[in-house]
Amino acid sequence: MKKAVQLEKIGWVVFDLLLLLLGWIFLVTCTSAKDTFPDPVSVFSMLFTSFVKPIGTYTMWGHIMWSLYRVMVGFTLASVTGIIVGIAMGSSKIAEAIIKPIFEFLRPIPPIAWIPLAILWFGIDEASKYFIIWLGAFINVTLNSYVGASRTDETLIGAARMLGAGKRKVFTRIILPASMPQIFAGLQVAMSSCWMAVLVAEMVRSNEGVGWIIIRGTDTGNTAQIIVGMITIGVIGFILTTAMSWIERKVCSWNTTL
Amino acid sequence: MMENKVEVSHLTKKFGDLLVLDDLSFNVKNGEFLTIVGPTGCGKTTFLNSLTKLYDITSGEILVNGEPVNLKKHNIAYIFQEYSTMPWLKVEENIRFGLEIKKKSEEEIKRSVDWVIKMVGLEEYRDYYPRQLSASMLQRVVIARAFATEPELLLMDEPYGQLDLELRFKLEDELIKLWKKTNTTVIFITHNIEEAVYLGENIMVLTNKPTRVKTIIKNPLPWPRNVSDPEFIELRNKITDLIKWW
Amino acid sequence: MEHNAVKQILSCRDVSKTFYGDGKCTEVIRHIDFDVTENEFVVLFGPGQCGKTTLIKMLAGLEECEEGSISLENEKITGPRPDLGVVYQTTALFPWCTVRGNIEFGPKVRNKDKKETRKRADHFIDLVGLKGFEDSYPKALSGGMRQRVGIARAYCNDPRVLLMDEPFGHLDAQTRYMMEEALENIWQKEKRTVIFVTNNIEEAIYLADRIILLTNRPASIKQEFKIELPRPRDYVSPEFLKLREIITQAMDATV
Repeated sequence: MKKAVQLEKIGWVVFDLLLLLLGWIFLVTCTSAKDTFPDPVSVFSMLFTSFVKPIGTYTMWGHIMWSLYRVMVGFTLASVTGIIVGIAMGSSKIAEAIIKPIFEFLRPIPPIAWIPLAILWFGIDEASKYFIIWLGAFINVTLNSYVGASRTDETLIGAARMLGAGKRKVFTRIILPASMPQIFAGLQVAMSSCWMAVLVAEMVRSNEGVGWIIIRGTDTGNTAQIIVGMITIGVIGFILTTAMSWIERKVCSWNTTL
Repeated sequence: MMENKVEVSHLTKKFGDLLVLDDLSFNVKNGEFLTIVGPTGCGKTTFLNSLTKLYDITSGEILVNGEPVNLKKHNIAYIFQEYSTMPWLKVEENIRFGLEIKKKSEEEIKRSVDWVIKMVGLEEYRDYYPRQLSASMLQRVVIARAFATEPELLLMDEPYGQLDLELRFKLEDELIKLWKKTNTTVIFITHNIEEAVYLGENIMVLTNKPTRVKTIIKNPLPWPRNVSDPEFIELRNKITDLIKWW
Repeated sequence: MEHNAVKQILSCRDVSKTFYGDGKCTEVIRHIDFDVTENEFVVLFGPGQCGKTTLIKMLAGLEECEEGSISLENEKITGPRPDLGVVYQTTALFPWCTVRGNIEFGPKVRNKDKKETRKRADHFIDLVGLKGFEDSYPKALSGGMRQRVGIARAYCNDPRVLLMDEPFGHLDAQTRYMMEEALENIWQKEKRTVIFVTNNIEEAIYLADRIILLTNRPASIKQEFKIELPRPRDYVSPEFLKLREIITQAMDATV
């Protein structure tokens, strides 16, 4: 029964894609959009050849790897710093009192607004890109870790103390695992925002990466290349979030809500 | 008037390949108080949801007054363990709620509400909000709300499960009083065998899943019933033996 | 009754507690005073929200006494300590630990010998009847089974006194009978001093050596009943029902 439901779902996805393709073909054959909009054949042939024939210095693989590398650096930094700061805030009243106001102030500023400062501080090379990517993710991870840690069930903490757990053990064996689902929700959002931030950073200034492909396409008037970049962004983004939920299911298999 | 309020014949419910209700047939007479008791995990929720048409049944028939059950046509009230009062309404407003939905006249509403509030002893609490009341008070509000609409059939799903024994007996006695006054047909489902014997004119015993009707036992004891009465204990033991799994 | 010498283990001396907050003060417990002897099964019995849970928390050292003192073998209880084991109404199982992980939690955080811990855990898993479920997570268990884990977890930490806070309060009537029988069985095999809180009179009489009847808030001791019916007890024996009526009536006056 479950299999049938899954098959039906997949069927609808295929149907959606076909519909999109048909609309696209209609647009470029029957309307005036064909002057500014490339047809599916040229886009897909470019997409496939881009994996063997370089665009700029690298093939598509190279560009994807560059972007992913930047994301991974920023994301890892953000996860580590965010979880530490968030849990500190959630489990210590003093840390909460000191950090939270600063945070509330910085939170509404979108990462893009930091780009000028980032370039001033870190230059136009990799460091400023990492900073931008880190920033957006850091805010999400911190906030979620904070909520997770501060909402740990008091009864569970009491139960652990009754069984002989000291402060450190309560932290590592109760607060940390109890915050995990919330932390993962933060990491999930952070991953998406990292992926967005890397594209912005690459579009502002770079010589490689998926964001650069789009900007390059704009500069040379190559609309097919723009679309190829966009499709790649969509697919990679999808793969990243799916991977995150897969990891979450593995790590938090005890969670009843999953 | 028909003699049978509810007629259930060959009620069967499957979830996919899983058989939950297996060919249940029974009748409930007009004005009867039927208690239903079964082992933990017997399909009692499925049973109730099928009776109220929340689930489509796989096969069989449920008739109320000789017609297929229809929630729009038949006035069926439903009381469960969670105290389903509206927190933003006062006690009196909560009780009026059901009547207002049924578009009764103001005069009629006032008469029913006054009567029922008095019956359950909530007169002094008319203007209280649910959060100001204890669990047993809340359950009284819910029961008053149900009886105010003068339902032809009242379904109760373990409404007193979490109450202290003392309060439970009090509310049960009140329920019997209301039932006798109004002549409502009541189907009362519980896990508590003593409660089933304390309340029911007839006691229907269900089997474990897939649920079947094991037997229906007549309870001839007069009210008020005494839980220490040897006849009461005999009946309680008899039913316990029928369902004991622990 | 035990024929060896009766030994005082826990004493609650003139304990009172008031909560202050929102400009109000709520007196919860007033001058409660009682002693518990070793391996005695004491039931604290009282109406709905009478302050029983606060009292259990104070006995556990999770809540401070405002007045009076509680001591375990003449040593004042000032904070949580592993020789007091708690079984909670909500079970308070750690959802990220398996059944075994929960049961071994106490000895593990106290850095006990691993082999020894495993043996103890196996013993109690067997005793509460959870063999075969060692690697299940709490979410996969029924309510009754979860509470079995809770009991085994408390036992596995080898406490002197077990504090049980309405452990079967969320269970349906039949599962409750099952758990009461199971607990009686476990306790007969592994005698401990138990302080058991409940608002269910059947449960109280079925399990208790002694019932301490509490008044409504502020809770104070209303009356004590020694229950001397032979175990295992029969819920519908005339003596049982008689006691039930007497105690229910004694409580009635306090509601």
